[in-house]
Amino acid sequence: MWQEYSIGLLLVFIAGVIAFFALVVEKDDLHRLLLLDLVEVPSLGIIALLGTDLAEALILPGLVVGIAELLALSQIYVTKEGLKERKVQGLNIEVIQADAPLIISVLLICYGVILSGFTGGGVAGLGVVFYFMARGHREHFELLEMASGISWAIWIFAFFVFMFIPEYWLLALFMAAIGILLKVIVKMSLVGTMWGDGNG
Amino acid sequence: MGMVNPGGTPYFILEFGDELVYFSPYTVSLFILALVFTIFAVIARPERQVDIVFGGDAFYAKETSLAELKFRRFMAIACGFASMGAMVTGDLFNFTLFISLVGICNVGIVAAVKNRHVQNAAYQYGIVALSATVPLFGAAALIAATTGTLSMVELWSNAALAVPLVVKALLVLGVMGEGMAPFYAAKAEMFRAPGAPYVIMCSLSSLLIFLRVIEVVLVI
Repeated sequence: MWQEYSIGLLLVFIAGVIAFFALVVEKDDLHRLLLLDLVEVPSLGIIALLGTDLAEALILPGLVVGIAELLALSQIYVTKEGLKERKVQGLNIEVIQADAPLIISVLLICYGVILSGFTGGGVAGLGVVFYFMARGHREHFELLEMASGISWAIWIFAFFVFMFIPEYWLLALFMAAIGILLKVIVKMSLVGTMWGDGNG
Repeated sequence: MGMVNPGGTPYFILEFGDELVYFSPYTVSLFILALVFTIFAVIARPERQVDIVFGGDAFYAKETSLAELKFRRFMAIACGFASMGAMVTGDLFNFTLFISLVGICNVGIVAAVKNRHVQNAAYQYGIVALSATVPLFGAAALIAATTGTLSMVELWSNAALAVPLVVKALLVLGVMGEGMAPFYAAKAEMFRAPGAPYVIMCSLSSLLIFLRVIEVVLVI
């Protein structure tokens, strides 16, 4: 087992060296931002090499912090370069303007609800994003935000049930699964709407 | 407790399962410092920078919009909370997470400033901070792999658990990248941003994480 770990570590180390070398050579600011994403991968790789439940629990915060930094940096890049918001009114592709987005979104949402939990939220959210991106939209962002907040609270409440009244674990499990499902769907659909005509 | 903690014996160890927070004389002093400066950031009124025109007695005051100031105060307070967490946590992975949060917040404090020099500096510093998460998280994961625990209390009380020197070096390298006190050449430009109490949070948090990482490296 230790030998496998060492080989994995060596591979991650090589990947890290390549990524950092690219970062040193590259001079364009936008390309460096993209390369940073590549640099993040070895750090997640080192954590993943632990190969235990702990590793899974550690990757998520590591990933979240990485994404937060990437978002902050890209926001700075946009203001620094003085880029204006470009208006995009749906995608101008024939297939997408027909009924395809509706069917695909419905399929994705159904599959996501069956999966439930974080993965299901991701799949269903992708369906909603796709729909919003393909069609224009006039949504109440405050309502979506509120739904996201409430489902987050349900998720947290479920964790308290797990900790303090573990006899009701089944109820807590359902609450956590549905809470995170709704939260991820809503958050991802907000991403889809923001991309639209820039009033989000 | 087998070994002596250079930061003094903890008065109190708060445990949440395997995650823990401990208050020793050293960590408590740092925590209070971070707390006091966060309170300053909450109550202080921001400075209004004045530029003197060279060769005359004219001057002009820089105007900063209210929305921008509110955002920067929020980021400064967030930075204070992240530093407080980094000061008292006894879990190595939480420590690295708090350190990288300090890095993001430092970028955030100056990100709203409409000054090209400041934004360029913040961008370059952000790139350094982001790439420093590799040695930072890498060190935490390697510590978990070699010793089987992430708890600092466990690591100093059990003499059999030794963290390799190279892993400690990685940890320090990561913290240096996130903006440790003597290494913030990239941050110097960021301090041109107007709005005194908030910008000082950048340097204070750098000092605090520098002091804490010394203790962490000596303890583990």
